[in-house]
Amino acid sequence: MTQVARPAPRRPRRLDTFTLASEPGNERLALARVAGTVKDLGLPDKQLERLKTAVAEATMNAIEHGNGNRPELPVEIEVTQHGNEVVVAITDQGGEAHPSETSPEEPDLARKLEGGQSPRGWGLFLIRNMVDAMDVTTDGQRHTIWLTMRTGGAAHDERV
Amino acid sequence: MTSACEATTRALPGAAVIELSGEVDGSAATVLTAAYEQATGQADARTVVLDFAAVDYINSTGIALIVSVLARARAERRKVVASGLSPHYREIFDITRLSDFIELFPDLDRAVSQLTPPAA
Repeated sequence: MTQVARPAPRRPRRLDTFTLASEPGNERLALARVAGTVKDLGLPDKQLERLKTAVAEATMNAIEHGNGNRPELPVEIEVTQHGNEVVVAITDQGGEAHPSETSPEEPDLARKLEGGQSPRGWGLFLIRNMVDAMDVTTDGQRHTIWLTMRTGGAAHDERV
Repeated sequence: MTSACEATTRALPGAAVIELSGEVDGSAATVLTAAYEQATGQADARTVVLDFAAVDYINSTGIALIVSVLARARAERRKVVASGLSPHYREIFDITRLSDFIELFPDLDRAVSQLTPPAA
């Protein structure tokens, strides 16, 4: 009887975890740090730029909508690698869905130009369009947005 | 690591150029509004050129500011064009449909040459 070796299952590999104070502008710190963390994972430039925008927008939402711009409330960011996917989890202390996440209205530029919609409201729309998958979880105390981007390779994952 | 938005304006025949630098985010509102008003102060500024060549960051609030500028320009019957966007921000202009309303040029020279053809 011939035994065939099967590939071992992959487990997530934590690449970085850090917190930021909830102050406007700190999304730039998140963007830069995540970009540095994933720089060797083989993300094409286009994907990297998309991930940076998604991370910045999600962090802005966490600061503003989740933590109410209260500096003492941290935004927690974790970067993990799951096989050929990078997952960035951004957690605030709001515990509830952000207003834009429960709004059924998509931004409509024509309506915005006519005054039928606020010029704002692009953040979640951009996030959805920048990453391969976006998920949101809440537990009443914490709110987390999960951003998934495929790297196209699995050279750095850890096997058990 | 962050750089505040700055704007310089200059007049061309029939057009006004607003050259932006730094970051186009919520903090750019005052700068962008003042630049637009200065640039369109000339009576014949039928076209407004927004040049992003020296812009290194645009976020969703910055997109909202650009929407506001575009809405105001359209109400005043002015055309808005843009130049110098990186490939990433060109993609964002496409996704948001801004590029349906704002003609995009690779750089300011090409935007200006298209707007002000040489005299015959």
